[in-house]
Amino acid sequence: PRPDVHPLPPGTHLLYAQSGKIEHVPLEGYDMKKDDAKAVLHLPEKVIIGVAYDCVEKMVYWTEITSPSISKASIQGGDPVEVIRSDIISPEGIAIDHLGRTMYWTDSVKDRIEVASLDGSLRRVIIDSDLINPRAIITDPPNGNLYWSDWNREAPKIETSYMDGSNRRVLVKDDLGLPNGLTYDPQSSMLCWADAGTHKMECMHPAHGDRRQVMEGLQYPFGMTSYGKNFYYTDWQRDAVVSVDHYAGRESDNFQPQKRTKLYGIATAYAQCPAGQNYCAVN
Amino acid sequence: DATQGTSGDCEPCPCPAGATCAVVPKTREVVCTNCPTGTTGKRCELCDDGFFGEPLVQSGAARACRACKCSDNIDPNAVGNCNRETGECLKCIYNTDGFFCDRCKKGFYGNALATNPTDKCKPCSCSPLGTVDRQTSCSQVTGQCQCLPNVAERDCSACQPGFFNLQSGNGCERCNCNPIGSTN
Repeated sequence: PRPDVHPLPPGTHLLYAQSGKIEHVPLEGYDMKKDDAKAVLHLPEKVIIGVAYDCVEKMVYWTEITSPSISKASIQGGDPVEVIRSDIISPEGIAIDHLGRTMYWTDSVKDRIEVASLDGSLRRVIIDSDLINPRAIITDPPNGNLYWSDWNREAPKIETSYMDGSNRRVLVKDDLGLPNGLTYDPQSSMLCWADAGTHKMECMHPAHGDRRQVMEGLQYPFGMTSYGKNFYYTDWQRDAVVSVDHYAGRESDNFQPQKRTKLYGIATAYAQCPAGQNYCAVN
Repeated sequence: DATQGTSGDCEPCPCPAGATCAVVPKTREVVCTNCPTGTTGKRCELCDDGFFGEPLVQSGAARACRACKCSDNIDPNAVGNCNRETGECLKCIYNTDGFFCDRCKKGFYGNALATNPTDKCKPCSCSPLGTVDRQTSCSQVTGQCQCLPNVAERDCSACQPGFFNLQSGNGCERCNCNPIGSTN
């Protein structure tokens, strides 16, 4: 085996929301197997915004805004189960802490960030101030960090905190437009975002603060996820999933589903959970 | 069910032209899978997010899907801007409110339909000492707060001429100056 080629576990997919459906496209290496794209879940009456994946139980989680709620279903088939249905108005981003067995979400009307167990119990508001248009949210379970974006046109920002909401800090506030998409690349320990206002994709090291541009000229990014050397984002103008080579800093491929309508959240469904220990297990 | 061997095995999809359909295995329910652009739903009867209408309603009342009509007081980067059927605006910005984001929200006044966002809706900022029950809302058009007796100004922040003691919180009192010893 070549030392520069890392064998990939079989069966990694991208999951994305489009008009009442959660679709998937398999990844072969880092390439999208476009011909094999199909719907995982059909929810014709819903408007699905955020999508997240729990690699432990192989479940997809999503937020929905027509009858505002959070639901989950097994990606191996199975009926959707509603886990949050009350006291929620406009849930957008959702993220899973697969080690802590919790989920986090943003609500853009209540302007807050909440956490709950994966069955919806033990629910708690962790951030409820200084939020205007919170959208993307992601977790970094091995390091115990939470990241989210707020596209407030007056003062867009990307923030971080511990996973209980403590130690909240603004990471990025300059030269941001509409930071709709956010992802964390565990390999490089980089926090990366896709901005529909500046039309750029950028990364920074959360601890060191150095910031660099991956590429510019994006059209209208909404959701974002990463896998290996690639970023994948959904684009509202192109109605497509676009893959970007992180290191080459350019678009490597794109997939436009047959149906032409907006794509929302996107998540990577790993065949196996990424390596990493629970921060609580070592502390 | 194509396995029965009768001429009625396959039925046309109950979907608008061009759409395909599928049968949900468990419930045997037929669902359209490829609705025309801008529409969604089991029968393609709903509009996509950001649009409203009732594209499939029979009897001539059908309304094609149109972009949310919210007086330019919504943000195109937001999701769920209006109700997909009625068009009711759900995410008014610039401190506007109402079915079409066409008026100022409580506690603000001005012209929600002004072109420039800064000219739209301004906070009432009623002076608590001069306002009845310390209300925070005002006339949506003029911005006039509801003043206590003998209190003046749009925001009830001053006494009328010849009156004093706004600080009392009960309105202003007459000065009662002796006309002989006063300058005017």
